[in-house]
Amino acid sequence: MDQESTKLIADAIIIAGKAIGAGFCMGIGAISPGIGEGNIGAHAMDSIARQPELANSITTRMLIADAVAETTGIYALLIAFLILFAL
Amino acid sequence: MPEKKRRRISKKTKIQLTVFLIVYVTIGIINVQYLPKSPSDILGNVANRWIVGTGPWYLRINPMTIIMSLAVLTVIIWFAISVHKEYSLIPTRKQAFAESLMDFVYDIVQSSIPDERFARSTFMIATTLFLYIVVSNLLGGVIPGISVDVTKTIGENGEIIRNVKFILFSDTWFAPTADLNTNLTYALMVLVISHYFGIKAKGFKAWLKSFIEPVPFLLPLNIIGELAKPISHSMRLFGNITGGGVLVLALSYFVKYMFLPPVLWGYFGIFSGLIQAFVFSTLTVAYISAQVG
Repeated sequence: MDQESTKLIADAIIIAGKAIGAGFCMGIGAISPGIGEGNIGAHAMDSIARQPELANSITTRMLIADAVAETTGIYALLIAFLILFAL
Repeated sequence: MPEKKRRRISKKTKIQLTVFLIVYVTIGIINVQYLPKSPSDILGNVANRWIVGTGPWYLRINPMTIIMSLAVLTVIIWFAISVHKEYSLIPTRKQAFAESLMDFVYDIVQSSIPDERFARSTFMIATTLFLYIVVSNLLGGVIPGISVDVTKTIGENGEIIRNVKFILFSDTWFAPTADLNTNLTYALMVLVISHYFGIKAKGFKAWLKSFIEPVPFLLPLNIIGELAKPISHSMRLFGNITGGGVLVLALSYFVKYMFLPPVLWGYFGIFSGLIQAFVFSTLTVAYISAQVG
């Protein structure tokens, strides 16, 4: 095998690795924020059904908790961008 | 049959809306003409915007951050002046909006920091951050505007050369909060202020003692926990805004940048941006109250 085709194959392997890595990073990283936000939403709905007069304050607190639970997903997104564009 | 109440649109507003629509469609047509060849042309340089490189200082800063920060400041100062000009006991619509916003934030601050000395300063810090982030997130994407393209090439001697090029009408406006430097500055500022207030409220000895609670064995964990606060505080905002921007950029390529960006920014800019700004200022209050209380 000559030099040029070796280089071509190496580049192809690099691109494939980047794509697979970014896909796995985002896919696995999106699992836990999904579960966490689902839990938060479910419990907020429960408490609103129990005490509808507190709906406003429960909703604001729910949004804050959602944003905090989302953080790990955002980290995964950043790592995926880094793998795709900066590596 | 009661007469239906109709909201009148004045002639001035109609002319303004028509001019805006014409300008918008023209910009869309210009975009189609001067479109980059593929989305990877733009997306390939996304990471270069926020990675610190080598070279003189003017190549290491992001010019869009400075331009857009000044634009945000202009918008906020203009709003403040226009409220102040017609300030009266019977509030106008603008004044009522500003007052209810301040009231909303002050209620949150007062419920978590009962001490009046710290509540006022915390209120000012939290409101300033909230206003700045809200305006920058909203300004970040509603209008197709200028963008900056940073390309990175490796020179002959192995040094990295960065070229900065301005692109007109190809992208949405760059939100200053999509630059990690902006967010990290504010997060570090909040960390320093919270510890300063902690020393002021509890005294120096009690503040030092709070690091070895509940047992001295946990000292490294407490220090790491404090240092992790600004990182997660800033990364949350940065990731949300940058991720939204990149998603909008990738998706709006399919309609040649014409109509989709404002619709998508309705979610990423307005909804997500408002929530993130609210979360940022609420977490500021929470970190300060954890030190003070």
